[in-house]
Amino acid sequence: MLAYRQGDAGAFEALYARHKGPLYRFVLRSVKERALAEELYQEIWMRVIEARGRYSVQAKFTTWLYTIAHHRLTDHWRKRGLQLVAADDADPPAPRGYEPEPRAQGRQELQRLAAALAALPELQRETFLLHEEAGMTLAAIAAATGATEEAAKSRLRYALAKLREALGDG
Amino acid sequence: MAETERDEKVTTGYRALGSEEPPRTLDEAILAASHRSPSRWRVPLSIAAVLVLAVGVTLRMLPQRPDAESVALAPQVMETPRPVASAPAPEQPKPAALATESRMRKEVAAKPASRESIAADAARSTPAPAAAGAAAETSVGAGKLAAAPLTPEAWLERIAELRKQNRKREADESLAEFRKRYPDYRIPEPLR
Repeated sequence: MLAYRQGDAGAFEALYARHKGPLYRFVLRSVKERALAEELYQEIWMRVIEARGRYSVQAKFTTWLYTIAHHRLTDHWRKRGLQLVAADDADPPAPRGYEPEPRAQGRQELQRLAAALAALPELQRETFLLHEEAGMTLAAIAAATGATEEAAKSRLRYALAKLREALGDG
Repeated sequence: MAETERDEKVTTGYRALGSEEPPRTLDEAILAASHRSPSRWRVPLSIAAVLVLAVGVTLRMLPQRPDAESVALAPQVMETPRPVASAPAPEQPKPAALATESRMRKEVAAKPASRESIAADAARSTPAPAAAGAAAETSVGAGKLAAAPLTPEAWLERIAELRKQNRKREADESLAEFRKRYPDYRIPEPLR
């Protein structure tokens, strides 16, 4: 990112190639609507491009990128009048519009997993996705989402417990 | 994961949900935007462009100012009568300007110079008493002056003066020559 800030466009292409898939899936599985996900995904990258001058090596690029993504998604939820909660009793129904394509495992099992993921409270799902897709540590997740490490750990545990249950392993 | 319980089954199941990638059009749009963003060269280049423009404008404007040349030529060409109302009013002659005129006239006679070089020469000139005396003796005919590479302003003043003196043919010839030399110069209405 520093190289890109200095004008090396090739450096951005390398970063983009490395992060595009995880970030895209993170957004897609957060909002569950493909068109909206693409719009948000593009906006996040635009913010990265615009903010490159403010980038410093205080954090890993991944943490910085997902901090921007978190802020954009938070704006999105707020616009939609949704409150970000992690409480177990706040599970929204799984929206339509996004149908993951199960592959190897039993179709039913994967569909249950997809439904359970979609039904997670936003903050739990976000924490799980940051962990699974971006490969972030709890400390990095806490930094990107503005939470404490304990809160991030708690959210991840809740999320994993529900997903395990969906797989019939609870 | 050491810091929290990693569930391999959940991870495997999650991976099996698919690995969607952004559409190529989206990739292209984002990469194009990243190339459009200001690079490290953009600011220095813009500064350089401004500097080049400023120097160009300055050079362009130099000969159009009432410089030493036009000021110096005015009193000689117009000894007693004042110019017509539409012609630019000449400034009062100064000794230093007369000296400059003498030097410049000699140089002009030696080699036809561009507007820029005349201005540059005028800027370099320093007053010389002997030259000032010589200038007072110099008498230049109207035709010769009109043909000489004067600044456009001085030339037009000369034409106005010829008209005022009823030397119509000379004035017309001089104006025709002027038009050839400066085809895009805006000639004041009374002289056309």
